[in-house]
Amino acid sequence: MRINWKPFVLSLAVLLILFPFVYLVFLSLASEWRFPDVLPSYIGFKNWVTVFGSETGLLQSFFSSLLISLSVAIFSTTSGFLISKAVFYHPKKRTLTLLAYFPYILAPVVFAACLSFFFLKMGLFGNMTGVVVAQFIIAFPYALLFFSSFWNEKVKSYEDLVATLGGNKWQTYTKVLLPLAKGLLLICFFQTFLISWFEYGLTSIIGIGKVQTLTIKVFLFIKEANYYYGALSCCLLIFPPVVLLYFNKRYVFKKLV
Amino acid sequence: MKIKKTNIGILLFVLVGVVPFAAAFVYALLYSFGIIGIANDGFTLKFWESVITSGTFFKSFGYSFLIALVAVAISVGGALWITLKFREQLEKRFLSFIIYLPLAIPGIVTGFFTFQLFSKGGFFARISHKLGFITEASQFPDLVNDGLAIGIIFSFITMIMPFFVLLFLNVYKNERVEELSILAQSLGASANQVTQRVFLPILIKKTWVLIVLYFIFLLGAYEVPLILGQESPQMLSVLIIQEIKQYDLDKISEGYVVAVLYTLIVSIAAIVLFLPKKKRAYAN
Repeated sequence: MRINWKPFVLSLAVLLILFPFVYLVFLSLASEWRFPDVLPSYIGFKNWVTVFGSETGLLQSFFSSLLISLSVAIFSTTSGFLISKAVFYHPKKRTLTLLAYFPYILAPVVFAACLSFFFLKMGLFGNMTGVVVAQFIIAFPYALLFFSSFWNEKVKSYEDLVATLGGNKWQTYTKVLLPLAKGLLLICFFQTFLISWFEYGLTSIIGIGKVQTLTIKVFLFIKEANYYYGALSCCLLIFPPVVLLYFNKRYVFKKLV
Repeated sequence: MKIKKTNIGILLFVLVGVVPFAAAFVYALLYSFGIIGIANDGFTLKFWESVITSGTFFKSFGYSFLIALVAVAISVGGALWITLKFREQLEKRFLSFIIYLPLAIPGIVTGFFTFQLFSKGGFFARISHKLGFITEASQFPDLVNDGLAIGIIFSFITMIMPFFVLLFLNVYKNERVEELSILAQSLGASANQVTQRVFLPILIKKTWVLIVLYFIFLLGAYEVPLILGQESPQMLSVLIIQEIKQYDLDKISEGYVVAVLYTLIVSIAAIVLFLPKKKRAYAN
């Protein structure tokens, strides 16, 4: 009799996928978990209570991250959408697209290290505005390239039709382009939000430790070997993307077509 | 009027998308030649000579290249196998949600989690102790901060394999591989022939740009090697940042030499990938 192994493999895969989430929550509830104990001597909400008492500034970091990511997502999605129109209707659009790929594929941390001098001169070093501007610089090319497939012949024909029927630019955007691009705009907003939410290297260079986002906090706790608070920060970092996934998978997965 | 508006759009694109990259590159280039910088006093090639003769860059590049290559090869191979064997099951409601979950985990969390699992005082070391395989933490094998970069490769695989599974499932559906496979079978092709002549060529051809793009992303990865890497050799981004943040002022210029070399390599890769005429459906 031939055994069907697929259900076993799939069950194992589901367990492996869920394991990090369960383990991180478990670690955030633990305390005094010394080697070689398989289970910690304390399990409870002590760490969470401390965090919500703002002793470690984690809640503040959560809201700083939220503010930075929302700002980056709003600016990059709006500018990406508007500027991409000029780029992808331009006769030299292939060259312009190529130029957009350079900052897109360069490691953000290296980019930030080479840009830090200019941020220092402009007074954008070590403050939240600087971090938002720096993250915007790496999220913008993504947003721009994201809308490359939107500006096609069909959309151009719609625009021409609106113009023929006497519509002005404002009406073209509000009545045709924005309703057509609504879904893409929403996905781009969440994707750029996540680019900013997950960013560590660039934030550490431009923020120089003064702007403490959640990713910065995770790393600080790792350096201090405070793994329980580290796990707690990880939980706060993962929570928003999981919520986004719950509402719609498209928000977390890259656009494919 | 219309032309003017287009020009403003292009001007803004250049200002936000091109100028920062160009400024960063020129700054790094000038620094690497000693033209600017605190302790530098004019054009010199000594930093370039130092980097090239010491072999630091080549070692780090080779190390990063191999790690990225192994991680991408295993991830793509694994994702293709999963797509081939479990496609139908993965389309069911519960699993179709579960397979998206790994994408909610950023690199820094993956690095932290891998460290928690595989370090000498980590989860598996405790289990090994409980089962009697080891008696002390030091007996547990080096799986993080190790020479073979096992921890880094493991993290990279867990980060990108789920993405490739979702990508291949998507391409499988969009490119109607199912229908083409049935057609091939009805023409007498065996299961192996369908895999080798239909499934693999279509999926690879449609996604190779993204595969190369992910290889480049891994080449410049920072958070994971920072947590799980070793002292030497280091992955490129970690090396660059370490050199630039040095107190030894000569090292800063050498860090910029490595940054320039890295930027040149990824820029050439971008030109090779995105300049060709053919339009690719899954290019971004």
